[in-house]
Amino acid sequence: MSAVTAIPEDPVGSTDAYVDPTGEPFLRTRFALPKVPATFLRRERLADHLDQALLTPLTVVNGAAGAGKTLLVADWAAGLTETVAWLTNDAGDQGPGMFWAYVLQALRAAGVAVSDEVGCPADAGLVDHKLLARLAAELSGRERPVVLVLDEYDHVTAPEIADQLESVLQHAEQGLRLVLVTRTEPLLPLHRYRAAGGMTEIRDAELAFTPEEAAALLDRHGLRLPVAAARALVDRTRGWAAGLRLCALAAQESPDPETYLKEFEADRSTVADYLFAEVLRQQTDRTQDLLLRVSVLERFCPDLAEALTGRGGAGPILAELHRQNAFVEHLGHTWYRLHPLFAEILRAHLRARSPDLEPELHRRAAQWLRRSGSLPETLAHGAAAGDWEFTAGALVDDLAIGQLFTGLRSDDLADLFSRMGPETTGAAAELVRAARDLSRRDLDCGLTHLHHAEQRLATGEPGEPEVAAWLSCALLEALAARLTGSPGRAEQAAETAEELEHELPAPLLDKHPELTALLLTHLGSARLWAGRFEDARTALTAVVACPGGASTALPREESLGHLALIDYLDGWPGRAERKALAAMTETERYGLPQPSGSGIGRLVLAAVAVDRDELGRARAFLDEAADACRVAQDPVTAAGRAIAAARLLLARGDTRAAVAAADPAVRADVPSPWAEGHTALVASAVHLAEGRPDSAVEVLEQVPYDDQPACAVQAARARLAAGHRDAAIDTLDRLRAEGRAGPAVTVRAMLVRAQAADEAGDTDAARALVARALVEARRERLRRPFLEAGPRVRRLLGTGPLQELASGWLASPGTRHGGPAGEAAEHSSFVVEELSGRERDVLRRLAQMMSTAEIAADLYVSVNTVKTHLKSVYRKLAVNRRADAVRRARELRLL
Amino acid sequence: MRYEIRVEGHMSETLTKAFPELDHVMMAGQTVLFGPVVDEAEFYGLLARCQSLGLRVVEMRQLPEWPR
Repeated sequence: MSAVTAIPEDPVGSTDAYVDPTGEPFLRTRFALPKVPATFLRRERLADHLDQALLTPLTVVNGAAGAGKTLLVADWAAGLTETVAWLTNDAGDQGPGMFWAYVLQALRAAGVAVSDEVGCPADAGLVDHKLLARLAAELSGRERPVVLVLDEYDHVTAPEIADQLESVLQHAEQGLRLVLVTRTEPLLPLHRYRAAGGMTEIRDAELAFTPEEAAALLDRHGLRLPVAAARALVDRTRGWAAGLRLCALAAQESPDPETYLKEFEADRSTVADYLFAEVLRQQTDRTQDLLLRVSVLERFCPDLAEALTGRGGAGPILAELHRQNAFVEHLGHTWYRLHPLFAEILRAHLRARSPDLEPELHRRAAQWLRRSGSLPETLAHGAAAGDWEFTAGALVDDLAIGQLFTGLRSDDLADLFSRMGPETTGAAAELVRAARDLSRRDLDCGLTHLHHAEQRLATGEPGEPEVAAWLSCALLEALAARLTGSPGRAEQAAETAEELEHELPAPLLDKHPELTALLLTHLGSARLWAGRFEDARTALTAVVACPGGASTALPREESLGHLALIDYLDGWPGRAERKALAAMTETERYGLPQPSGSGIGRLVLAAVAVDRDELGRARAFLDEAADACRVAQDPVTAAGRAIAAARLLLARGDTRAAVAAADPAVRADVPSPWAEGHTALVASAVHLAEGRPDSAVEVLEQVPYDDQPACAVQAARARLAAGHRDAAIDTLDRLRAEGRAGPAVTVRAMLVRAQAADEAGDTDAARALVARALVEARRERLRRPFLEAGPRVRRLLGTGPLQELASGWLASPGTRHGGPAGEAAEHSSFVVEELSGRERDVLRRLAQMMSTAEIAADLYVSVNTVKTHLKSVYRKLAVNRRADAVRRARELRLL
Repeated sequence: MRYEIRVEGHMSETLTKAFPELDHVMMAGQTVLFGPVVDEAEFYGLLARCQSLGLRVVEMRQLPEWPR
């Protein structure tokens, strides 16, 4: 039995058994292997040829509409013992993200164990190549290949999808057999597969019926035809499967089928047109009406068909049409679709007969789908009907407004609503407009539309859908509050949202975790702006803890990025780095554009890199973050960028540019203590660097830095430079009570104290302080504080035990004199602690590719001893792996 | 740009309505669809429509502009 038929036969319409990353159900009908009708003629020559598909990576079944491709492959696949994953591609522009989300789900639906590690795209238009690499790697580990059939591949038009398929196919090796069923030539490099014998190819000529096969097909419909007559028929239809099938159906009803077929041969109409009109005419009026009306649907069940016809009894009609194998294909259980060829022709007939009916049919379909189907289909038909009040209402009532900002469908939704005209003025439509404008950071327009929406809601009738609309308002209010830097407004929005959430059914909220996640992210960002770090952390941590998945990937990334910024501002570069990296992993896993969102995680990484004096890396992160942000930034991101950029310029000695970059230049309703503090801090550092210690003190005195340990340390530094040693120590003493500050602050504070002690002549105390600073900084690789420190501290670094503490991670102080550190220093000028004789012995054998055990035997020591030596070699060379140790040792001419 | 597309067989009136933007004429066992085409994208769209209606395209060519 084939693995496909083993799929549980639930109703295969839209069920919640499979749910895509945005919480919307996957259309399970797209994973269903089409059922072969009783009149299907299995042609052994084609089935035998298709068996080759198991031996070649790629198979292409390429033929005209109605050539019998789908049924041929479906019949063949149903008889396989291999696992078969089937995906019918939908019409309409389909981005790579959506395509791969469906491919992954098709594999899972077929029982292929795709682990969660592979991830899932979160952006309809994009997929991360790493996700595809992980998928290919998992497939390549399979013992037996999975056969992946992509039907109607001609609907896949994005050229990058072809490249991605090709890449997955290559790397999945023996684990994947790809079968493309298509009307047009796929964009894969077929010539290469052909040349290498890596492709099974079945094209129109081979798909065409031979006279013998045509006779056998007609026989199945109860028509006996001599081969000569069958040959004439094949000549007329060119062996076209759909044509022959229609012939059989038309002739069946005729009193003299043979004469009928002769007449058909003599007729000069286009084959499909003639036969189609014939066969359609043979149906009852009711059946004709049903067929014409359902032609606007991709797929349908009797209930949906009845919603369109306004009459009952669709079930038996559809079952009979399927039995005849005319027009309809059965997708399992009660779901059907029209044969793609006939759907087009039926639509042409519908337009000819009742030109005004189409919008009404779309409207009815949308209403049915809103009750019993999926939101994306509802929206698509609502839009096709041109009924924007309804369409916007469906989105808002479903609480899906957050999907305009995040998740797999955000592009599709934005695209869909871009067709909405200004004549639609309901509250839901205004909310959609406000969301669109705010997502583009167009505050003025966004707030105007939001205001309109609120007015409409306030004057409207109360009811349950209103709650969803008000909650949508609260989300947009919170976003507006974040963008305008107004924490008060954000708090109010969050409170309103919390009250409203109690009034909504829990399943609706559970379906849209992105709504709460986005709202809390905005709240956290606004609180952070106002300097309320602990409150911000509460909101942001809640977002990180919320259910995973593509729909919340963006808010989770943003929240982790904000948390990273808090850690950085508190002076904990290691923690900040870990959170920023976690933020990036979060969205990479879901294939979001990299970098995505505001790019705040990268700004934090840039700032951390500056603290470590890795200026090249810092520059790269800043550039990447700038790529992310095509729109104006929210205040927190703008301030984060200002800090990272100004500190980098300062480290490079470009003081004038640093002062300019330090001003975030954002408009905000409330001031931000830390943003202002850091602007002043940079200004103070520039004054110091340019020999104006008094100005350096002055610029910080205008800032209340009780809550800003970094500013307090800078103030102490400036005071010391200005000759106020006691005031400097006093400032630092007050800081000590704080306790929140991490090493980036405390190390700098110790160095100021060391300098003060050294100036006071207490060299021993100064040495002890520098030693403590070195120990604390070493763990975090904090180099910048030592480079910023004055010549006194640097001199101390060059002496005795301090030199040893600095070696291996902090660049040689000797090379740093007279100017800022260059990037070259990152790579080559580390001071290398002398290797011991035994360590050299081990290293030399390592270079000869000896294993640990071999080295142990060769040196007559235990394996553990060798491991210990290796560890200290790695540490001294600042590497983690054998190969790197050998390479580094060669660079340093130790070998 | 003006194009003509020749398909095999005579199309019914109903089916020609699937190409409202084009005129048509029947001749010698063929239907000739012709008219203005905005750009290449529309041109490929027309071809795809032919394909999805099961029409067999036997010839297509660009027409000279109308003399003005």
